[in-house]
Amino acid sequence: MHKNNFVERSIMGALSFLKESIFADEYALRKGFLQSLDPRIKTVTFMLFIVQIILAKHTLILLCLYALCLLLTHISKINLGFFLKRTWIFIPLFSLFIAIPALFSIFTPGEALAAFNLIGLKFTITRQGLSGAALFVMRVITSVSFAVLLNITTRHFELLKVLRILKIPQIFVMTVGMCYRYVYLFVEIIENTYIAVKSRVGTKIHYKSGQRLAAWNMAFLWQRSHQLNEEVYKAMLSRGYRGEPASLDDFTVKTKDWLWASLAVIIFVLTAYFDYWLKA
Amino acid sequence: MDNPAFELKGVYFSYLGKFPALRGVDMHIEQGKKITVIGANGSGKSTLLHMLDGLIFPDKGVFKAFGREFKENDFNDEEFSGNFRKKVGLVFQNPDAQLFCPTVKEDILFGPLHLGVQKKEIEKRLEEVLGILEIKDLLDRSPHQLSVGEKRKVAIASSLMINPDVLILDEPTAGLDPLTTRRIIDLLIQANEAGKTIITSTHDLHIVEEISDIVYVFSQEKKIVKSGQPDVILEDTALLQANNLVHIHSHGHKGKTHIHPHLHIEHHPEH
Ligand SMILES: Nc1ncnc2c1ncn2[C@@H]1O[C@H](COP(=O)(O)OP(=O)(O)OP(=O)(O)O)[C@@H](O)[C@H]1O
Ligand SMILES: [Mg+2]
Repeated sequence: MHKNNFVERSIMGALSFLKESIFADEYALRKGFLQSLDPRIKTVTFMLFIVQIILAKHTLILLCLYALCLLLTHISKINLGFFLKRTWIFIPLFSLFIAIPALFSIFTPGEALAAFNLIGLKFTITRQGLSGAALFVMRVITSVSFAVLLNITTRHFELLKVLRILKIPQIFVMTVGMCYRYVYLFVEIIENTYIAVKSRVGTKIHYKSGQRLAAWNMAFLWQRSHQLNEEVYKAMLSRGYRGEPASLDDFTVKTKDWLWASLAVIIFVLTAYFDYWLKA
Repeated sequence: MDNPAFELKGVYFSYLGKFPALRGVDMHIEQGKKITVIGANGSGKSTLLHMLDGLIFPDKGVFKAFGREFKENDFNDEEFSGNFRKKVGLVFQNPDAQLFCPTVKEDILFGPLHLGVQKKEIEKRLEEVLGILEIKDLLDRSPHQLSVGEKRKVAIASSLMINPDVLILDEPTAGLDPLTTRRIIDLLIQANEAGKTIITSTHDLHIVEEISDIVYVFSQEKKIVKSGQPDVILEDTALLQANNLVHIHSHGHKGKTHIHPHLHIEHHPEH
C-alpha cells in the first residue's frame, strides 16, 4: 500500500510540477530584471547565448555562462531553488533527445567507426572521457536553463509574437502554440481522469485491472485531449484568431534594453575569444 | 421584417462524415430577435450554434448569414472573416474549451486584440464588462483554477468584449447560482433591447419565456420538430415530454401512485 501511495503521490506531484513549471505565468508577471526587458531583445540575446553554449568547447566557459544564467534568475525575482529543480528535471529528457542523433550515427555507414566507438566507450572512462561527459552535461544544463529562463520570464503570447517578429513561419509558431496547449490539456485530463477513476474504483486498484484501466485510458485520453484541442481551436477562431498572435502591450525598446543588448554582445565576444584561446 | 441574420434550408451536418448531428434543419432568424433552442442531450443544439458562428459548414443544404450564402472558403478572406467574427460572438458550452490563455485578463482581451479593436475602446469595454459580471478580482488568476460558475462568467465576458451584433450562448446558465442566472438573463434582455440578436440554447425552461421571441425545439432525430412563441411551446406538455425536457414525478397518495409531469417553467422569484 505504501508503495502504491508513493507511486500515486509522485505521479500527481510530477503532473502538478509540470503544470506549474511550464504553464504558470506567475513568474512572467513579477517585476524583475528580465521581465522588464523588451521581449524581442531578450529573446535575441538568449538565442545568442544558446548558440554560444552549443559551440563552446570548454567546461569553464560553460560554467561562466551558467553562473550568468543563475545571476539573471536571481535578479529576476525567481526563487533559485525552484529554478534549479525545474531545470534539472529536464536534463534526462533533453540528454535523451541529444543522444538520439548520436545513436543514429551508429547505423550510418562506417561500421568500423561504430565498432570502435562501442569498444572505445568501454575503455575510455579516462580523464578525457569524463571531461567529455562533463562538457556534454554542462552544455545541456546551461542551454536548458537559458531556454527555461526565457520561457518563464516571458508571457506565452508575447513569446509567440516574438517568434513571428523574428520571421519564424506562421505555421511553425501556430504549431508550437498548439503543442503547448495540447500538453496542458493532456495533463489536465490525466489528472481529472485519475481522480474520477479513483473515486469509482477506490484506491486499491488491483494490479491487473489497473493495467487494463491504464491501457484503456491512454486511448481515451488521446481522444479526449484531441477533441478538446479541436474545440479550443474553434474557440480561438471564433474570437478572431488567424494564426497571428497579438498582445496588449506594444513592444518598446528602452535605453535599458540597448544597454542589456550591448552587455550581452560584449559577453558573447569575450567568451568566444577565451573559448578560442583556452587550452583544452 | 426582411432583415435576416441567419437562414438555413435543409441543412445536414455530420462529424467526421459518420456521426450525424443535424438532419435537415430549416430556420429563419431575424435580426434583433431573441431566439432559444431547446432539446434533449445530443439533439444537435451545440452543433447548430457552431454552424451559426461560422465554425462548421453544412454537408448539404444552404446556410445564409446576413443575406449571403456561406462557404468555408469565404473564411480564407481576411476581411470577410474579420467582419463576421466582429459581428457574431459565441459563448461555448464548455468553458474549458473557450478559456485557453494563461490568465483571465488575457482571455478576456483575446477577442478584441485579435480583431484589431482600438486600445482605448478595449479599455472602455473591459471596464464595462468587468462591472457587469463582477469578475474584477479574477483578472490575474488562471482560468483553469476557477470554479465552474466563475469560468462561465469569464467565458461570457470574453465574448461580450467583442461587442457582437449577434450573441450566441450555449447553455449560459448551466451551473450558475440563481442570482448570477438572473444577472445573465437581465444582461441578455438589455443587450436585446439595445438591438442585438440573442440566440441561446438551454435546458432551463423557466428562463425560456423571458429570453425568447421564438423557441425552436430539437428532437432526438436531430432536427426541428416544432417552433413558435414561447407560451405555445411551453404549454405543449406532450412535446416537451417526448423530448426529455420535463420529468415525471411519481409519488404515493393514500396507497395509490400518482404521476404527473413536472414542468420547470414557473418563474423563480426575483432578487
Ligand atoms: N466532436 C464530435 N465528434 C463526433 N460526434 C459528435 C461530436 N460532437 C457532437 N457529436 C455528436 O453530434 C450529435 C449532436 O451533438 P451536440 O453537441 O450538437 O448536441 P447538444 O444538443 O448540444 O447536446 P447537449 O445538450 O448534451 O449539449 C450527438 O449525437 C453527438 O454525439
Ligand atoms: Mg450542447
